[in-house]
Amino acid sequence: MSFTAYKDTIEEGDFVFCWISREIIKPIHVKAGEVLGTRFGIFSHDDMIGSLYGAQISSAKGYGFIHLLHPSPELWTLSLPHRTQIVYTPDSSYITQRLGITVGTRVIEAGTGSASFSHSFARTIGREGKLFTYEFHEPRYVEAKQELEEHGLTNVEITHRDVCNGGFEIEENGASKDIRANAVFLDLPSPWTAIPNLSSVISKDSRVGVCCFSPCIEQVTKTVEALMAHGWSSIEMVEVSAKRWEARKQMVRRVDDAVERLRDVKRRKDAGIQRRKDDIAREALEGTEPSIGDKRPASETPQPEEKTKETGFNPFGKGVRVRDGDPQWEWINVSKVESDIKSHTSYLTFAYMDPNIRVVNPVEEVAEIIA
Amino acid sequence: MSEYTYQEPKEAVFDKPTQLITRGQCVVVRLPSELTKMVVLGQGKLVNLGKFGTFCSDEVVGYPFGQSFEILEDNKVKPIGALLQTHDEPEDAEYDNATDELIRNLASSENNQQIINIGTKIQKMTTAEIEELKETGGAGVGKQIIEKIIASHDAFDKKTVFSQEKYLKRKQQKYLRRFTIDYAGPSQVLQFYYQKDPSRVLDMSEESLGMMMNLANVRQGGKYLLVDETGGVVLYAMMERMRGEGMIVVAHENEHPNHSVMAHSNYSDELIDSVVKPINWLQFFDPEEEKIGWTDFPQDIIDGMTGSKRQQYYRRKRRATDVNHAINLVESGNFDALIVATTLHMPSLVEKVLEKVGGSRPMVFYSQFKETLVQTQHVMAKDLRVLAPTIFETRVRPYQTIPGRIHPVMSMRGFGGYLLWATRVFPKEGITAVGRGIVRKENRKKQKIEALDELSGAPTEESTPEV
Ligand SMILES: C[S@@+](CC[C@H](N)C(=O)[O-])C[C@H]1O[C@@H](n2cnc3c(N)ncnc32)[C@H](O)[C@@H]1O
Repeated sequence: MSFTAYKDTIEEGDFVFCWISREIIKPIHVKAGEVLGTRFGIFSHDDMIGSLYGAQISSAKGYGFIHLLHPSPELWTLSLPHRTQIVYTPDSSYITQRLGITVGTRVIEAGTGSASFSHSFARTIGREGKLFTYEFHEPRYVEAKQELEEHGLTNVEITHRDVCNGGFEIEENGASKDIRANAVFLDLPSPWTAIPNLSSVISKDSRVGVCCFSPCIEQVTKTVEALMAHGWSSIEMVEVSAKRWEARKQMVRRVDDAVERLRDVKRRKDAGIQRRKDDIAREALEGTEPSIGDKRPASETPQPEEKTKETGFNPFGKGVRVRDGDPQWEWINVSKVESDIKSHTSYLTFAYMDPNIRVVNPVEEVAEIIA
Repeated sequence: MSEYTYQEPKEAVFDKPTQLITRGQCVVVRLPSELTKMVVLGQGKLVNLGKFGTFCSDEVVGYPFGQSFEILEDNKVKPIGALLQTHDEPEDAEYDNATDELIRNLASSENNQQIINIGTKIQKMTTAEIEELKETGGAGVGKQIIEKIIASHDAFDKKTVFSQEKYLKRKQQKYLRRFTIDYAGPSQVLQFYYQKDPSRVLDMSEESLGMMMNLANVRQGGKYLLVDETGGVVLYAMMERMRGEGMIVVAHENEHPNHSVMAHSNYSDELIDSVVKPINWLQFFDPEEEKIGWTDFPQDIIDGMTGSKRQQYYRRKRRATDVNHAINLVESGNFDALIVATTLHMPSLVEKVLEKVGGSRPMVFYSQFKETLVQTQHVMAKDLRVLAPTIFETRVRPYQTIPGRIHPVMSMRGFGGYLLWATRVFPKEGITAVGRGIVRKENRKKQKIEALDELSGAPTEESTPEV
């Protein structure tokens, strides 16, 4: 049930996504007596049982903390074991929206890969929908099949198949299964060899949308040619770029304060020079030679901890370790794009198949006669 | 008598046709220029497309959505293959020259070769062949018109292939009496309003809308808290992904929420009422004051009322029930997601409403301005009830999709909004907040430093538990 509906309290056997950091989310099945070892400490499953989803728990020693999160397709995408490259949420959510995939949609997906998108599809199409997903790599197929079952995604049917050579049809009791897909997603190296096999498995009485996901422009060219040759139209390729922004703080450093600081430095320097002149004058008067190595009296030598600190007027905390947002200083809220951006995932080639038929609706005809 | 009887809102069913064009439905009419129009297909109703002509609604009923038509005489239509896809590109000479230049630089000799090829091929065509092409449409549609144009355009073969095609697309846009009927789904409705006035839908792009739906994990049977200032586009997208199952409490700042977009949704009022529960902010924050006290009148008194009095009685009862129901829903909280697309000040809003969100459930905020979300993210970063607030910006870049001449289109929309995604969590008791991190008393100093590092976005040491 975990991927299809929320529950509030964690029970034995439940699927929990342990949030350790943005980079580390560990999906686990909770089992009494077991522990989760992380580099932040050891967390007991017993502490999880009875906790609320969303709760924070501490490690056995009490220093480390993790959050216990509820599974969702989007968190799964961030935490799943990678068997392949995967489709991330900015792409998958756009494809879903653009192809009009909602509750009840029948979808074909090849290949399954790490089943990142499969989880998202399964959630969106709901009970009435159906996802037919295909994977030709046996170990990946076996892993994905087990995973989909464990996650209770009963609206997904996975088939071990090379869709380019073997097509999409599924035999059942000696007959071909009625797939009638309304939407197709192809994430494999040569979609153009799979496209000819689609005609027998897509819906004949509604518009069908396809999206081919390919990283190279050469693949797009071949895909577009194949789509055209097989009657697909409204062909358009797009690219989704996604950026993540981080909230940051920038210190307000006013030029007036900079001027004031310079003035202050100068004042103190002048005072220092004056003091040196006075010293020299005094020394001359008293007839003692200033020592070569240390020109200043011992009292003027900065204390070790003051070495980095600036004395006097210090509006920007020079030499002090200032934490961003420290209320002693003034800040503005700014944002910065994350350091490595995924600037290219793949090209998305969309196309549609229009059945070009008219369905005569008997109910409607009768209504017409009555009216 | 029956019209005066109060009925509890009945379980409405989702029964709208999503695949076939049906009489009485609101649909999208898409013109070759990609401009769209919303039309209700009333019986016998004529639809006027200006210079493209007029057709009768009955003519298109029964075809699947996505079907294209050509307008014939007498408001009749004939189904055809798909229209050519074009992008709204500026029609000035300078632009043409710039793109032509680009193409020449890419593959000049091959290009010239192609000009001759296409020219001769077309000229050898018979009219019958062209007619046949027109019938089948599809991939051939782009070339079918070339014949007519070539005949009257001496300099045509001197243009590059690229500008030839563009020229032809424009001709098709201008002279062909063609259109497509599309399903009026949330993406189409969004596009329609976006074309009219982007500010009406808070500049929201389709990719932002889709991403909102996924990040908020919207699905059948969910219970959501929504603030929507797009006229109901977000609400409509959610309804589609719930298919009439579940609940959406819509918080708003007026007497009634503005859901004008739902008029295009083809949902029955019963279905909308069974899912959508409006509540204004006063009722939201002042529930005890705003609950409407209600006790039923004895049946004999109701029976003795005049028709209009009784009607009024039932209306008041209905209102009291609805308002109290919405207030109760908010009071019990535990929403499966908080979804916000508003111009209200989000940093102060979030603190007030996040208590209502269930544990580990997502919160998604949309704004046309990144700064608004940055402020909100800073507020969230200090709040231990919020985990990992993240701002996303996604943009879809369309390409000219002609094999051999694929390149990004020359101009695209620059904006489309930003999203802030976070998860609602419960901090462990006894942990106090310092910035974004957490402090346990015995370990205060070290953690304080880590917490502030976290706030600054500085790379945290591996041993720092992130909160
Ligand atoms: C990039 S992965 C798909 C990732 C997936 N979309 C996800 O989000 O996790 C591509 C997968 O397609 C499979 N594949 C490649 N060619 C195939 C074919 N002809 N038939 C079936 N699967 C194929 C590969 O084995 C690989 O697992």
